[in-house]
Amino acid sequence: MRIRLRQLFGFLRRFKDWPGTEHRRAGSIAVGAKLLGLMALSFLAFGSRTTTGLLWLTVINLALLLVFRYGFIFLRREIKVFLWQTAIIVSLYMLRFGWIDGFKQGAMISWQLSLAYMPGVIFIKTTPQPRIVETFSAVAPYRAAFVMATCFKFIPLILTEIRNIYEGQVFRGAKILRRDLLNPCNWPDLVFCLALPVIIRSMNLAGEITLAAKARNFGFKKKRTCWPGI
Amino acid sequence: MGFCAVFILLSRAALRLHLGISGHVMFSMMFFLLIARGCVPRFFAATITGLFAGVAAMALGMGKGGPLLLIKFVLPALVVDICAMTLPFMFQSYLLCAFVAATAASTKFIDTYVMDRLVSMNPDIILQHAFLEAAPAVFFGVAGSLFVPPVIRRLKSYGVI
Repeated sequence: MRIRLRQLFGFLRRFKDWPGTEHRRAGSIAVGAKLLGLMALSFLAFGSRTTTGLLWLTVINLALLLVFRYGFIFLRREIKVFLWQTAIIVSLYMLRFGWIDGFKQGAMISWQLSLAYMPGVIFIKTTPQPRIVETFSAVAPYRAAFVMATCFKFIPLILTEIRNIYEGQVFRGAKILRRDLLNPCNWPDLVFCLALPVIIRSMNLAGEITLAAKARNFGFKKKRTCWPGI
Repeated sequence: MGFCAVFILLSRAALRLHLGISGHVMFSMMFFLLIARGCVPRFFAATITGLFAGVAAMALGMGKGGPLLLIKFVLPALVVDICAMTLPFMFQSYLLCAFVAATAASTKFIDTYVMDRLVSMNPDIILQHAFLEAAPAVFFGVAGSLFVPPVIRRLKSYGVI
């Protein structure tokens, strides 16, 4: 009994002394189980229709944030996104279904959506790329696993590129501001001034990633090996 | 292809407003599936893009179909691949692109039918519901596909393809 307690305290101490980097925190948990668990949480968020269910899921998500120690900055950012999304959805619902009903339905939907997104965000932020590749490699060919993991990891970079190109094009006079897009005549501008440069940029990026992978002898061995990470 | 899958996901995430406008996601999906097939002229290019997007959407918990979500992505992509194989010059023609997009988007009928069958809905209502779901999807799919020929043309002129 004493040994078990000691083991338990040892485990808890290790847990407490986890270093600050997200890589090490995630490294001690089996990524596959983590992915499945977080996917299940997302599905539950879509499936739950009651306030109680959503409350439970919120508590679980907050507990996960504590477990992964993904600090207050992450939470603050998420709350900001959540509030912005809530404002849009609630206002649209209020326009369509009236003040009280619209507010209730819109708030529930945006709460549900945030809870559905949260596990995915936690997974991406707290899992290093080699671990994602390893997990995908177990169920998919290693090339496909590499492409998927790379695409996941480059989402933030692509979003930054999209924002840069968007701002650049707005300064050049493209009619792609939100108020301009209310007019369908301006939609071609969105395609030619934003979508096209973004596609070209992402193709260049894909070329650069391919070159980097080739330079590291990717595909040299049939069995893919993953760098253990930090 | 991977980045096209990412763009499908991003646009899907951006358009998740539940406005009651069914099928609006098909706009971006058709656009990027056709672009993926146009940029990578291999047989399974669109299907692989759809598969990536489907698996990633499942992993990120987007959509409410669960494992059936994969069908939603893969079926239209498969149609795009088959049509692109039989009509290799389709990316230069607005009409052919619109036709292919309409055919691919109409697979939404199958998705809805299967899902409604799984929840044992009344067969008459299933057909009506599937039609009501598929019609806007076809409309938005065709709208998205009309931007494909000029974009492919520009990509060629920039030397990216």
